[in-house]
Amino acid sequence: MDPVTAMFLIIAGGVLVGVCVHFIPASAVGAMSASTGIATGPSMLSFGAGLSGILSASFALDSGLAAMLASGAAGSTLMVVLTILGGNLVNAFGTGVPPVSGQTASGQSVLGSSTKDAITGWEQKPFVTPGTDGHGMPVQTAISGVIGGIIGGLGGAMVFFGVQFMFVPVSQEAAGLSGMIAAGIFLINCVLPAYTLVGKTEGMFDRKMLRVPKTFLSCLIVSTFLALIIYSTSTYASMGAT
Amino acid sequence: MLQLLLLGSALAGLLAFLAAIFENEDSDAGSASNPNSQVQLAPQIEHLHRYYNKAIAGEPPQNALWAALAATIAYILYSRLGMDPIPGVILGSVLGALIASLLQGMYGSLAHISRIASMKNFKQMLYWDSLLSPLPLSMTYTFFSALCLTLLSFVIHGLLGSPFPVPLIAMFLGFTLGAIASSTGDVHYGAERLYQHYTFGSGIAISKQGDIDVKGEYGYRNSVDTPYFTLRFGGPVTGLTFGLLILIDTLSRTSGSVWTSVILEFSIIALILIFIIYLEKYTRDRYGPFEEGK
Repeated sequence: MDPVTAMFLIIAGGVLVGVCVHFIPASAVGAMSASTGIATGPSMLSFGAGLSGILSASFALDSGLAAMLASGAAGSTLMVVLTILGGNLVNAFGTGVPPVSGQTASGQSVLGSSTKDAITGWEQKPFVTPGTDGHGMPVQTAISGVIGGIIGGLGGAMVFFGVQFMFVPVSQEAAGLSGMIAAGIFLINCVLPAYTLVGKTEGMFDRKMLRVPKTFLSCLIVSTFLALIIYSTSTYASMGAT
Repeated sequence: MLQLLLLGSALAGLLAFLAAIFENEDSDAGSASNPNSQVQLAPQIEHLHRYYNKAIAGEPPQNALWAALAATIAYILYSRLGMDPIPGVILGSVLGALIASLLQGMYGSLAHISRIASMKNFKQMLYWDSLLSPLPLSMTYTFFSALCLTLLSFVIHGLLGSPFPVPLIAMFLGFTLGAIASSTGDVHYGAERLYQHYTFGSGIAISKQGDIDVKGEYGYRNSVDTPYFTLRFGGPVTGLTFGLLILIDTLSRTSGSVWTSVILEFSIIALILIFIIYLEKYTRDRYGPFEEGK
């Protein structure tokens, strides 16, 4: 692999990170059980998942690209699925409400006018408590979260691998340095979709999924810019080293 | 080698479990996460309250700051003091966590004063007891959570062999823990503790928001008794979530092969998904259907 391929890996990883935020269900109002989704901002939650993916991927640093990508995806997905489990447990036994999708119940999701869960086929509408927009993470959102975790973990590990490949020849602390930079690129690409999601998403069945092209384009531009900076820095540093 | 990895995994799981409980209680005692919107909204609908509200940053970056600060100080002390590894790490971690908790106390008191002062137009008063009684409690929780996260970072770096430096691991774990705690344990605070005067399971309608419970068991409610309630359920669930994440992640790697660990993790993810489906079925049988207007 040459540095230019590593640069494209960073760009592709950054775009994947941006797209993953659309898949992970999150909503700040969920903290009052008044909205469907994991009870925190989409950007922060995806970043938390991405960091656990990068940390997992760091253990597979010497095993090649495929092992790192798989390891990163596993770490991120595990974090998302455990958070969904914890959130559902608190909603079930701490607050006393069943997991239900508010947008599907009101017939406004991408599924059209269907008010049933896309995977289990369970009716959503009668289980929304009056005056709220759903609560917890029903099965269709949980599956969407798992897909988001896989995409985000892959993206984070790709960025990490690309940066690490470029920094190995120029730094003795390449692993730590590239982990830090990968986390930074992950954070930037996680925050960008906040402008299209506006604080709340129910995952792949949410109507906001149709705004993915906007996220894709903005993440592509920003990731290209960042990848060019990293590429030129590492090339300049290696020129100085020789 | 296997014994070392098993010991490291067990220690990491235990430390993660404790760190998550303490972090969640710190955020509940200080209304630090998303439920702070309700505490902030209350004076605007004439609910003058005595809650301690230190939320001026998101919980994940805030927690990452305390963990990274404690771990940086611990790592510098450990490498400079020249002591034996185990006493050196423990002494460094205690001093690092102490400094992080002192800084958190300063941050928390200034944040609370400015938060409450901004509500002056709604006749919200700055009660000194609502700041001075939960502040040491919140600082203590920060101390323990920063200590556990620093020790956990040393375990992951030293025993389990992560190539990342200790402060970076602490920042990563602090951020992940903040994201987990604000999305699991804080629901128990935001949806149940703040709305205890509503019937259990009735749901928090958007129109009820801001109508938080200002009177408790002993007269006016103070944030110091919030952890007394949330420690019974919200804290342990947060501990379970973060503890399981670290335990499964580290245990799956004891085999030494990356692909085995990936396959193991994905099979555990499938098992958890099946459990989530059964949990949803159980809650649907137990609660609801709800009728509009009741």
